Amino acid sequence: MLKFLIRRLGVMILTAFVLTFVVFFLTNLPPNLEKLARSEGSVRMTDESVQNWIIENGHGGPLLGRYTQWLGVSPGWTLTDDKGVTRGRCITIATPVETAPRFCGVLQGNWGQSTFAKDSVSSVLARSLGATGWLMFWVMMVMVPIALLIGILSGMREGSRTDRSLSIFSIASTATPEYVSGVILLAVFASVNAGISPLLVKWGWISDRTLFFGTATSAMDKITFWNFALPVATIALYGIGYISRMTRASMTEVMTQQYIRTARLKGVRFRDVVIKHALRNALIAPFTVIMLQFPWLLNGVVITELLFNYKGFGWTLVQAAGNNDIDLLLGCSVVAVLVVLVTQLISDIGYVFLNPRIRLA
Amino acid sequence: MTDTRTIANDLHPAAKRLAQEVKDGQLSRREFMTRATSLGVSAAAAYGLLGLKAPAQAQDVKVGGILRCAMEVKAQKDPRTADWPQIANVYRGWLEYLIQYNPDGTFEGRLLESWEVNADATEYTLHVRPGVTWNNGDAFTADDVVRMFARWTDASVEGNAMASRFPGLVDEATKSLRDGAVTKVDDMTVKLALSASDIAIVANLADYPSAVVHASYVDGSDPAANPIGTGPYIPQEVTVGQKVVLVRAPNHTWWGGTAPLDEVHYVDFGTDPSAMVNLAASDEIDTNYETTGDFITQLDGLGWKKLEAVTASTIVIRMNSANGDLYKDKAVRQAIQLAVDPKVVLELGYNGLGTTAENHHACPVHPEYAKIPAQTINPAGLKPALEKAGLADAEFEIISLDDGFEAVTTDAVAAQLRDAGANVKRTVMPGSTFWNDWQKYPFSSTTWNHRPLAVQNMSLAYTSTGSWNETGMANADFDAAMVKALALADADKRREVMTTLETILQDEGYIIQPYWRSLFRHAKEGVNVDMHPSFEHHHYKWSLA
Repeated sequence: MLKFLIRRLGVMILTAFVLTFVVFFLTNLPPNLEKLARSEGSVRMTDESVQNWIIENGHGGPLLGRYTQWLGVSPGWTLTDDKGVTRGRCITIATPVETAPRFCGVLQGNWGQSTFAKDSVSSVLARSLGATGWLMFWVMMVMVPIALLIGILSGMREGSRTDRSLSIFSIASTATPEYVSGVILLAVFASVNAGISPLLVKWGWISDRTLFFGTATSAMDKITFWNFALPVATIALYGIGYISRMTRASMTEVMTQQYIRTARLKGVRFRDVVIKHALRNALIAPFTVIMLQFPWLLNGVVITELLFNYKGFGWTLVQAAGNNDIDLLLGCSVVAVLVVLVTQLISDIGYVFLNPRIRLA
Repeated sequence: MTDTRTIANDLHPAAKRLAQEVKDGQLSRREFMTRATSLGVSAAAAYGLLGLKAPAQAQDVKVGGILRCAMEVKAQKDPRTADWPQIANVYRGWLEYLIQYNPDGTFEGRLLESWEVNADATEYTLHVRPGVTWNNGDAFTADDVVRMFARWTDASVEGNAMASRFPGLVDEATKSLRDGAVTKVDDMTVKLALSASDIAIVANLADYPSAVVHASYVDGSDPAANPIGTGPYIPQEVTVGQKVVLVRAPNHTWWGGTAPLDEVHYVDFGTDPSAMVNLAASDEIDTNYETTGDFITQLDGLGWKKLEAVTASTIVIRMNSANGDLYKDKAVRQAIQLAVDPKVVLELGYNGLGTTAENHHACPVHPEYAKIPAQTINPAGLKPALEKAGLADAEFEIISLDDGFEAVTTDAVAAQLRDAGANVKRTVMPGSTFWNDWQKYPFSSTTWNHRPLAVQNMSLAYTSTGSWNETGMANADFDAAMVKALALADADKRREVMTTLETILQDEGYIIQPYWRSLFRHAKEGVNVDMHPSFEHHHYKWSLA
């Protein structure tokens, strides 16, 4: 077990290494640096000033050198301009030149400064992950019970009318990507001139103009049913279909097993057979699928957060990419690697407990 | 409102004549206000010259309340390098301006109480408003004004938008403030001695990068980090891309009295205008930054107030001869220009929410606007002109932003050129990449904001040395005429030169400038805000009923 954990940790660090280097390389391509210079300096800078800006802000010199600065294994850049002001990677208002450390990279716990948000990467990530955490929490709370229920109901009597109708629903929902379902939900429930809101207003059932809020921005301060239901539903719909299909497959398989037939023949009620005998065995496969949903949710939130203007991890990732915010993008990649590998780890370990036949070497 | 001091005896001689012109019906009242106030006549005195009373601000505004405005929250920048009005609208909470441009076309002294200009616009006397303090307790004096001019004229700062605005104050050799150009006469008076006439000083002092910062401000730093200013508010929170909260500055007596609102919140809901309609419907905002296109009627339909500003904001679809070989031939450019009917572009590209323009970037709202003979639109002339230049099969790529009226307008231009027989390719780019090379595309569209004087945009964009020259135009006659125009403080005399400038610019054929945009925003019932032609937010004028 310990060996397994150590190996997994090693893979994690290696992946993070490779990924961050690729991201670093891409964000440091000359046109990207010019874009950064223009958005940071001024849109209307001359080419000459752009080149100066790049060098004066620590983006000159060899690529590897700058990457190691970010890692914290080579000293951070410093530069003294003609006015005698010294700036540098490690120099901030809080740590002036005199007290600034020589090294300030990830190894020293410094994730760098976001050029887009004008804040440290760690606090930007903490804030956005917090917001996304709430979104994911509610998605899971909605998605998992509904998906399991649908999967079990349709899987316990394969081919029945219940099975067919629930299967149609889950296939349809899993075949609809977020950018389609989100737009449809918005049009139906949160538009002033389309969907059901105008009707409800006409009948006098709601006092506001729309049933739900069209954006989730206010959920950043306070989550309510009205501002959070649509984004949660958008992400959950896709997952519900997927997980319920997996659950159904696993459930139908279990229901054909010998011991189920034996129990039925001995006169156990169908309800008890399903709940006491079939369920536990049928849940092994969905458990892995649900754990795999976490990294996938990180993708799903990108579209949904943009669509509903909810400033979480996905939104931050898009802003960082759009503004070529080097340090923030690197931070985002490390977070993504962590989320993927940690959930995989949990899923592998959990599997062992659920299924005694499997052992971790 | 605290009106600028009236110095009846010192009225600029031109002002009285202008007033006569209004009475004779030769000049609109709006133009009169712009011109008279830029000559140093206070708004009240200018209204007085017309025999009118200055419009009094409502006396009984309710104090208190929070106003929520939807606006993109961009990262704060050193004000002199700020490149978007949205950036300035945040620091306007605590930073103020020497002079302010009001939506009615007047210039109003803010940190300056008044100013005087000599007849040929080479000497300005600025009178500092007494009783102004910074929110850390320091007094605002003439020293601050002198210091600001040194900051503004420092061309060594990359992206300093103010550096090119005061050519008459700059030492060419050191690219900084010339010795003796700005002198402190006494604690309350500053004199500007220009090496050449410059009529745009007043307008430049009112533009959004010219906010006045405290002596302790660290160059290039985030102005919100240590918000020492003279204004009524301070930033409590500035989270880029998300939210700004401006609250009353504690322990600070603002010279202007009490600003009605307790707090101003800016919330960033992205740039999707359809989201704005839903936000308004679900009561998440009280007002927005700008309403465009179809959404104007949608917000009207919600019962929101439509606020309009008539402006010289425009879109220019321009060719660039420095980077596009196709556009080196003047005859080709002229044929392309004349193949596009501005009326059609206005209708298709901007829903007719403006007025047609004349391909010379001077607007009738500018004081020095000169009427020149109308062009004849001639789509049939394009094909022969292209054939003559050997470009009959050439592909003309027109680039624009990927969204909004910029894209639609450029599409309308492209469609007309196709109809006229040119082989046109349309390319769209997202804002994040488009602005990287906006000056260099061979054929693309650029939006231009409103400026109070026509010569301001023209000198920036079409002189051979203009810092925002995006056409590659280098016409010696135009340059010479511009130098002349910039020395004429009197708009009537300038108008004669304008005829030359407008004719040359139109004749060079670089730009298709189809229309002037009216700008709109909306506000909920009971919210008192105004629309400004340059998107300026004057928070102290806002209130809730």
